[in-house]
Amino acid sequence: MVEIEKLREIAREVISREDVRQLIGYRQGTYGFRARPAFVTTPEEVDQLIFSPACVNNLATYLTLEEKLPVPRGQEPDLRKVAVMVKGCDSRALVQQMEEKAYERDRIVVLGIPCTGVVDMDKVEERFPNVLSRGEIAMEGDKFVLSFDGKREEVPKEELLADKCRRCRYPTPLVYDQLLDEEVARFADDDYSDVLELEKRSAEEKWAYWEEKFSRCIRCYSCRNVCPMCYCEDCVLDRLNPQWMRRSVDISENTAYHIARAYHLAGRCIQCGECQRVCPVEIPLMELNRKFYKDVEELYDYEPGTDAEAPPLLATFKVDDREDFIL
Amino acid sequence: MAEKNSDFEPNIVAFLCNWCSYAGADLAGTSRIQYPSNVRVIRVMCSGRVNPLFVMNALQQGADGVLISGCHPGDCHYMQGNYYARRRFMLMRNFLEYLGVEPERVRMSWVSASEGAKWKEVIEEVVSGVKSVGPMNKFQRRQLNW
Amino acid sequence: MNGKPKIGVYVCHCGTNIAGVVNVEEVVQFASTLPDVVVARNYSYMCSDPGQALITDDIEKFGLNRVVVASCSPRMHEPTFRKTLLSGGLNPYFLEMANIREQCSWVHEDPIAATEKAKRIVEAAVVKARRLEALDVKEVDVEPACLIIGAGIAGIQAALDIADAGFKVYLVEKSPTVGGHMAQLDKTFPTLDCSACILTPKMVDVANHPNIELMTYSQVEEISGYIGNFEVKVRKKSRFVDMDKCTGCGACAEVCRMAGRIPNEFDEGIGMRGAIYLPFPQAVPAKYTIDKENCLFLSKGKCGESPKCKEACQAEAINFDLQDEIVEFKVGTIIVATGYDVFDARKKPEYAYGVYDNVLTALEFERLVNASGPTGGKIVMLERGKKKKKKEGEEVEPPKVPKSITFIQCVGSRDKSVGNEYCSRVCCMYTAKLAHLAKDKIPDCEVTIFYMDVRAFGKGFEEFYDRVRREGVRYIRGNPSEIFKRGDKLVVKAEDTLTATPLEHETDMVVLSVGLVPRSDNREIIDLLKLSQSSDLFYLEAHPKLRPVDTASDGIFLAGVCQGPKDIPDAVAQAKGAASAAMIPMASGKVKVEAQTSVVNEATCRGCGFCVAVCPYTAIELVEVNRNGWPVKVARVNEALCKGCGACAAACLSGSIQQRSFKDIQILPQIQALGVK
Repeated sequence: MVEIEKLREIAREVISREDVRQLIGYRQGTYGFRARPAFVTTPEEVDQLIFSPACVNNLATYLTLEEKLPVPRGQEPDLRKVAVMVKGCDSRALVQQMEEKAYERDRIVVLGIPCTGVVDMDKVEERFPNVLSRGEIAMEGDKFVLSFDGKREEVPKEELLADKCRRCRYPTPLVYDQLLDEEVARFADDDYSDVLELEKRSAEEKWAYWEEKFSRCIRCYSCRNVCPMCYCEDCVLDRLNPQWMRRSVDISENTAYHIARAYHLAGRCIQCGECQRVCPVEIPLMELNRKFYKDVEELYDYEPGTDAEAPPLLATFKVDDREDFIL
Repeated sequence: MAEKNSDFEPNIVAFLCNWCSYAGADLAGTSRIQYPSNVRVIRVMCSGRVNPLFVMNALQQGADGVLISGCHPGDCHYMQGNYYARRRFMLMRNFLEYLGVEPERVRMSWVSASEGAKWKEVIEEVVSGVKSVGPMNKFQRRQLNW
Repeated sequence: MNGKPKIGVYVCHCGTNIAGVVNVEEVVQFASTLPDVVVARNYSYMCSDPGQALITDDIEKFGLNRVVVASCSPRMHEPTFRKTLLSGGLNPYFLEMANIREQCSWVHEDPIAATEKAKRIVEAAVVKARRLEALDVKEVDVEPACLIIGAGIAGIQAALDIADAGFKVYLVEKSPTVGGHMAQLDKTFPTLDCSACILTPKMVDVANHPNIELMTYSQVEEISGYIGNFEVKVRKKSRFVDMDKCTGCGACAEVCRMAGRIPNEFDEGIGMRGAIYLPFPQAVPAKYTIDKENCLFLSKGKCGESPKCKEACQAEAINFDLQDEIVEFKVGTIIVATGYDVFDARKKPEYAYGVYDNVLTALEFERLVNASGPTGGKIVMLERGKKKKKKEGEEVEPPKVPKSITFIQCVGSRDKSVGNEYCSRVCCMYTAKLAHLAKDKIPDCEVTIFYMDVRAFGKGFEEFYDRVRREGVRYIRGNPSEIFKRGDKLVVKAEDTLTATPLEHETDMVVLSVGLVPRSDNREIIDLLKLSQSSDLFYLEAHPKLRPVDTASDGIFLAGVCQGPKDIPDAVAQAKGAASAAMIPMASGKVKVEAQTSVVNEATCRGCGFCVAVCPYTAIELVEVNRNGWPVKVARVNEALCKGCGACAAACLSGSIQQRSFKDIQILPQIQALGVK
């Protein structure tokens, strides 16, 4: 685990630099266990920074989400660098963003956090109902330690670990300027068991499954907004002219939305799981993304967000790509 | 599915590249090769122009099946378009199948300008495939009448 | 013009071709109910003059601004009706055709089904027509100059043709002389013309032609732009010899301390040269070149007391301080004529090339029989790697003459084991020619040829092959498996496949008829010009039948073997073809560029570069623009390069790049119209 003092010391150094305008990290959330993003612009603010297994957010999102307000006449835009703290999974978002030329490598300062895993808040809630709002969580060895109401609960890591961490291939960031701790070796691999299980079902069963999921969707677009890869200036999915899908919330338009969202992430999703985490109606969005992820890996030996120099998956081809489905 | 009956005449939207498949379909015409009338064609310059989301849109807008047809590999008028199309539709077809959309509804073919006869075979294959899975009854847009 | 659409729909009977199956009145009735349709008519032949007049009259009468013609395939009559619109005062891109003949009435017998389908097709055309936009047909000026890369026979011929027509030619050659492989040859098959006799006058012509700027010992470093306007940067490598002063007398070469010690590339390494050299006596330009890797002064900083060449040169042409020179110029067209390499026989280790002195490649043998070659045209047994140091008074043993010579055909051709599936097209005939020359020069020599098939397909080829056989050359059908040495003799192990007899054939000399392969430095040109390769790795032509000298990029043409193996007349014919193709845009002075190109909405483009990556024509680039005071990258289309395939539009996630006439906003309504049951 990253030592908080060391983290703050490095952060202080970084934000003191003249060429850095902002540092994006984590701070304590309003309620107990929760962590939330911190946007630090002065050395004084550094003491609020933390890192704990509750730091689930992918901060790479804020690099592309930041609104660029019009620069007033006679002023220059602030083009100084932005520093960002990233876990292994989050760092892949940076790599993918750079593959897509969202910014140049020298525009960011990356503080890499070798990650031993984060918690799944839903699993905590299930195990210890109603304590999320008061208490703390830490990782000690291979256990999560929860402290609340003067109690201390130790839980084996496995039991509360987020699903994405169970199959994490890159716990140590793939890109960084400074690493805040010792590298963490890959501790798991992905067997795609969730996707394989769904693939085995019949067409009727599959649709019945997804029809139920999609019909819950309220089209809040949280999944899109939180995604570090969804940063178009003007998303085609809510454009009126041409209108790809209507705004009405029904199974037809919802399905179209989810097909389009997932397809737009084919060869781009880096498996941070943020979409599913933020979904208010618990649509298993990662099961959609992971179908593409699995196919892309199997068919094209391609893993998004691992090589900033790689050509975008769907903007390249091999002459001998599989085509046995073609008449 | 009660609707899977022999009277079902599917409605299939096809995207054809101008140089090979559209010309092949024209050749079927000049050769007076008869084939089922279920397929309706949208001409694009290259199969590489076809956005896979067109498939989603067609299925949503009432098509029972979609066909994308381009030049054989290596023959693309624009050198590479069909290779891009091949990747895009491989992934889209697998994904739709994963959602429960039968793969018979999403087809792709290579038909050259000289393959009028193959065009007929492709159409027959696609039509019989879609007939075998019946009308699209999953996420098509309801036509509102008020 | 872009106000509310007013659409005219014209349904053609095409005699009975359409009307015999489709109920055209019903289609017209249906069309007139569609949104924005002002008038709908049917007529027996829309493409006839009265048919077209219906359209122009209605444009005037109803103020039509969109036209839908429901008739035959747009591949048939789209140009016709575009002209109709133009003559009626409308932009020709306000036309949409509904193909109800080839893809409806001719392929469906049932009138009800066919009429139903025709209605759908017409509706899809109408909804697209509502969204059509006027497009400009743009023209770009063409610089009346041509860059030709490679000055072998193909490059030379193309250069002469273009220069004779009055256009400027920049002829760039990598080696110190023009002439290419043809200059190395002795005779040419099947006519046995002396290669040098027919080539050297042309070599001299390109050097002297007022319209040709010849740049030898030069390399193209950068090319940008598009048809009509290519910017070219060429590096003229330093020869360390002042081209203006050198008289070509050769005094320098005689005194060079390295003289006779460096294998001469032109002689395929059989002959030797010095560090300052002329590749061969008839080289053009007849100017000496110092090879800086081998020059003692340039590579080691010291050449005896002082470089002898410099002392010997009375013209004071030698200047060790000369630098490479970069020249830049603009051309309208480019011809690639970079030629080939011969197959590296070492890739067939069973033939022991490079192991035994007297296993030669055919090109080495060519230099042996050539009167201007290292042996003065005498075919002799080789002793490779031995330096001939003549001591005063020592008798030099005359080299031995081979009593038997054996050729092996298809070395490196039609051979999947070395990755070359193709036939090199010239080996059968040059082998017959070399066999004939061997017989001619050494009448008692026993000449044998191992072959797989003899492909004598060209003009005069079969006759020549017959003649050579009658001269006593023995053809054995079989592909040798091994060459080894037994005593003084080489042994070729093979099977005569016509009699199914294994045999071991003893011989003095083996000549490997090596095939033609793409140049090892092909990649340089591919990167410069973004050319494609066919599966054999030669450059790919735009169409194998109908556009054999064009490439996929407008204004760039191919000539000679760089496109695929061919003999001299074919290379010359292709060169003349390429020259004439290149002259078309130069003569007209203008070229039309595709109108249905892609266009970027810079306000929504996120600059990810997916479109840049998919574009086969490098027509899109990312440029920095100012968005609300922020510098951001966005895609920009070079319309002169865009061919209108639309691959970018399908790759764009934000829908910011669209193909004109095939925009999402035009296609989605078509999908909707066709989806309705």
